[in-house]
Amino acid sequence: MKIKIFLAICACKASVFFLRLMGRGGTAIPGKIALKICPELLGHLGKNVRTIIITGTNGKTTSARMAEEIFAQSGLSYFSNRSGANLINGITAEFAGHAGLLGKPKKSFALIEADEAASKEVCRFLNPEVVLVTNVFRDQLDRYGEVTNTLESILAGVKNSPEALVCLNADCSLTVSIAEKIPNKVIFYGVSLPIYEEKVEEVSDAPFCIRCKHEYEYSYHTFGHLGGFFCSQCGYKRPAPDIAVTEILNRGENETSVMMDMFGSPEELSISIPGGYNIYNAAGALAISEAMGLDRDTAKKAIADFSWGFGRMEQFDMGKTKARMILVKNTAGCNQVINYLGNLRERSVFVFCLNDHIADGTDISWIWDVNFEKLCDLGEMLESVYVSGIRSADMAVRLKYAGIDGEKLRIFEDYGELISAMGSQELPVVIIPTYTAMMALREKMSAAFGGKQFWE
Amino acid sequence: MKLNICHLYPDVLNLYGDTGNILCLQKRLSWRGIDCEVTKLPIGKNDDFSRFDLFFIGGGQDFEQEVLLRDLHSGKAREILSAVNDEKVFLCICGGYQMMGQYYKLQSGRQLDFIGAINMHTEGSESRLIGNYMFRCGEENGGSLVVGFENHSGKTYLDEGVSPLGQVLSGYGNNGEDGGEGVRHKNVFGSYCHGPMLPKNPEFADLLLQTALSRRYPEVLLPPLNDALEVSAHDYMAKRLG
Ligand SMILES: [Zn+2]
Repeated sequence: MKIKIFLAICACKASVFFLRLMGRGGTAIPGKIALKICPELLGHLGKNVRTIIITGTNGKTTSARMAEEIFAQSGLSYFSNRSGANLINGITAEFAGHAGLLGKPKKSFALIEADEAASKEVCRFLNPEVVLVTNVFRDQLDRYGEVTNTLESILAGVKNSPEALVCLNADCSLTVSIAEKIPNKVIFYGVSLPIYEEKVEEVSDAPFCIRCKHEYEYSYHTFGHLGGFFCSQCGYKRPAPDIAVTEILNRGENETSVMMDMFGSPEELSISIPGGYNIYNAAGALAISEAMGLDRDTAKKAIADFSWGFGRMEQFDMGKTKARMILVKNTAGCNQVINYLGNLRERSVFVFCLNDHIADGTDISWIWDVNFEKLCDLGEMLESVYVSGIRSADMAVRLKYAGIDGEKLRIFEDYGELISAMGSQELPVVIIPTYTAMMALREKMSAAFGGKQFWE
Repeated sequence: MKLNICHLYPDVLNLYGDTGNILCLQKRLSWRGIDCEVTKLPIGKNDDFSRFDLFFIGGGQDFEQEVLLRDLHSGKAREILSAVNDEKVFLCICGGYQMMGQYYKLQSGRQLDFIGAINMHTEGSESRLIGNYMFRCGEENGGSLVVGFENHSGKTYLDEGVSPLGQVLSGYGNNGEDGGEGVRHKNVFGSYCHGPMLPKNPEFADLLLQTALSRRYPEVLLPPLNDALEVSAHDYMAKRLG
């Protein structure tokens, strides 16, 4: 057995090394090779590492990056799957990378973002100490179009985590249903008031009670199907959160400050990134911190100091101007980005890059459920919209039907031309790509304007 | 001039961007100066079906199916049936398309009884018929080339006397076996085509509108629009699948 573990780790480390030598940063292939040699490798590597798992449809990466900042400022010895490789192969490679050749861990904690579908296996191997479920939304990668399938996968993961303290989003009726199916201790976190003064209209992913199929009523909405839900037929309702956002004090273009109730004590929190959905991500990260018993003031300071994460509001210097990049994966996430863009006070250029590879979701019809109509309210603030990517023509049609003025619309079939168009003007740019478009653009932009590769 | 559009079950049949079809119909009318009113009929809500010219039904998830069937069988099924027989125009996509048939036989053997407006039925299958696809409408259905995305585990079989909307050129269509895709029965157009179907198939969208318009204003012909963007999205996929 020891030999197998040793060989698997060697193979993993070696293939990571060679991939980087070739200028590639992937961890999926090394992980796959290692698991081929030793299928139980992740279990062995995780045995002496205290693991925190973050899963759910939206907000995994930002919640994880915020939690990471808390870990760093708390002085914990930890590692995380930063590159966003959140399937079993990538996670295994991450653990192997932070272990000696015999499998002895080099760090005490692992902060792992796990894909919903992979969480079952990942939790079984890692026996996490804390599991955070951010929310459950319809994702275009879910080929069955059934949110309850996603929920089942997540539940299976939580069930494979018998010792974990489970942090659940109290505002998501789907997520909350996990609590009654597990014996674990649960911490609920949520936002107890509407986040936006004005938000996009959306179709709910969960209009009917998960217990009895009666239509939910809401005392308030935050976004999507999140909010103060209750069922008048069976009594299923939003639980009172242990960690709640109770007031929005200030909503700036670059940060938000809120009042919170944390286990009965009022706390003021400053969140260093804008966007209403990031309030949830901050509350989720704090829930992890509380579950682990970390110092609260340190955690709050970390959230205030937090800077942009990979593909989630990263900033690029483009010479004459700056660009922000915000990854989108599904309708709910993209609607949140539209809410954010609606609050911009600076005349800007928006760039939508739509690809349809497997990692983006091969079905692009979700763009028609996004409320792009809202962009028209920006009027003069919206200088122009550039579209690019494999399915740029579809994106252009969507924007045409959303009412975007044809004069403002430009299609770029080539990323090089897109990048020079962005860089040759002076207005701030917001780039909204799908996953593979983000990877490709990042590489090209780093080459054109300098910047780090994502694994650095 | 005005068309009344009824969007059936927007609360539960709203998967895969299919509501984009409604938007497309609205825009293509308003660009031609024709008024249009869209009435949403969610579960539990009713209306006078005779005042509508065009109906749209999309696809949904299984979780809400029970709620939906209860509502259908409490009266809407009958209303839909008589609207079909009145030769009103229907666009029915995926789940909405299956619903117009006799029944859906699940893999478990359980049978869901549907509206029965069209002599066809659907059977659940192990595999999922999924991916970009393309079909050509029959001559009687305008003959246009339609591109889109299909995603269904139900296989639909047209029974005696019922013809498909078109023939599959790439992908699976109704059942992946007989080459047929969708259905045309009276003025009901059924299809598995998501994407959504209408925006990048403007020729087909206009066929629906013209059919609905002709019932109310027999001599009116739709003027052409500038469809350059739509055609470019259409042709991109047609080329990729061709
Ligand atoms: Zn209920």
